[in-house]
Amino acid sequence: MSSDVILVIVVGTALVFDFTNGFHDTANVVATSISTGAARPGVAIGMAALLNFVGAFISISVAATVANDVVDAAAITPTVVFAGLIGAIAWNLITWSFGLPSSSSHALIGGVVGSAVAAAGFDAVIGEGLVGKVLIPAVVAPILSLLVAGIAIGLIYRIVGRQRPGMVTRGFRYGQLVSGGMLALAHGTNDAQKTMGVITLALIANGTLDASADPPTWVIVSAATAIALGTYSGGWRIIRTTGTRIIKMDAAQGFSAQGAGAAVILASTHFGFPLSTTHVINGGVIGAGAGKRVSAVRWGVAGNIVTAWLLTLPAAAAIGALAYRATAIFGSGTLGPVLVTLLSLSLIVAVFARRSRRGAPIPVS
Amino acid sequence: MATIVETKELLETIVASVVAGVGITVVFSIAIWGVARFADLGRDERPMAAAAAAALAGLALVATLGAVVFGIVVMTSK
Repeated sequence: MSSDVILVIVVGTALVFDFTNGFHDTANVVATSISTGAARPGVAIGMAALLNFVGAFISISVAATVANDVVDAAAITPTVVFAGLIGAIAWNLITWSFGLPSSSSHALIGGVVGSAVAAAGFDAVIGEGLVGKVLIPAVVAPILSLLVAGIAIGLIYRIVGRQRPGMVTRGFRYGQLVSGGMLALAHGTNDAQKTMGVITLALIANGTLDASADPPTWVIVSAATAIALGTYSGGWRIIRTTGTRIIKMDAAQGFSAQGAGAAVILASTHFGFPLSTTHVINGGVIGAGAGKRVSAVRWGVAGNIVTAWLLTLPAAAAIGALAYRATAIFGSGTLGPVLVTLLSLSLIVAVFARRSRRGAPIPVS
Repeated sequence: MATIVETKELLETIVASVVAGVGITVVFSIAIWGVARFADLGRDERPMAAAAAAALAGLALVATLGAVVFGIVVMTSK
């Protein structure tokens, strides 16, 4: 009975994380389309939410990769998963609060690693998996998309530079509708699966599913719904940062950033090399700006984003470890998870209330 | 390092990303160039050149759509 209650709390927390994942990462998909005028904010976000929902159903093959490759499965219990999710949600909300586009995937991995270390020591971490599947891709992804977008925008200006600006802008705006749609689909496929994987892992750890079981249909539907609702809610602060604060973007730059992002994500998917969609898109935006003129990039903003990326894994791990320790104080029953959940909900409400007092969502022109 | 990171897969990812990312933007840019030239040449009453520009734009658009379909196939096959 007690383990079932913990399982329900874990599933609920995973869906809250999935919501914050969509909310936090809306900017990856829509920021460039909105800032260049390719789509109105409501249309862009609605389309992204729909395609995120559809994307979640496309594939379930990588659903359990996150935890399996970086943490020893023997160390995983529902409480470890719960504490890891608390770490990820907390870091997502902190970075949202500052308008910084950080990786939700890295927050989730950091949270689970931190809680697993707190539960079973450093032996619980699979070092090779952490380096090969997380740390090296974290460095490669933004540099690769930056280079691709930089080269692409240089060639675009050479090809269409002498044509009438109105027609060129209109053409790239149409192109952005397609490249933005591809990004939304890829995002739904990649990120919704991480939550499916975490819920499935908790169901396996609880003995509800066999170790080789695929995610049940209700898990797929609920994860798809949560990420779509989160996306539809729209994280305006991060949309503003990605769309207007790194560079002032024209439609060609928006298209090259999205095209580079979609190409890098799809190539990595094809070759089984996991990358963060947040790192890819923001690298593409910086590359599209620098490809036109290096001084066009607001390097201070870019530096803040990179700092958030560097802090994501250790910070989410620290919060995950803290959440596990706090939960463990109350033993292995339901009291710990219930109290940590209530405390977390209080902090979430406080963060939203504090931000709400500072004014309405930031308009993006 | 090679045992931690699949070097071959990493290099393939980098090459495929550069080829696909730069390729699709160049091809789509050619489509836009073709449409813009078609409009300009049509206005200048040069129908043959305008038709050639339109054909180039059409081919480039088809290639772009092909790349999009390939991307969706890649996603659904994983």
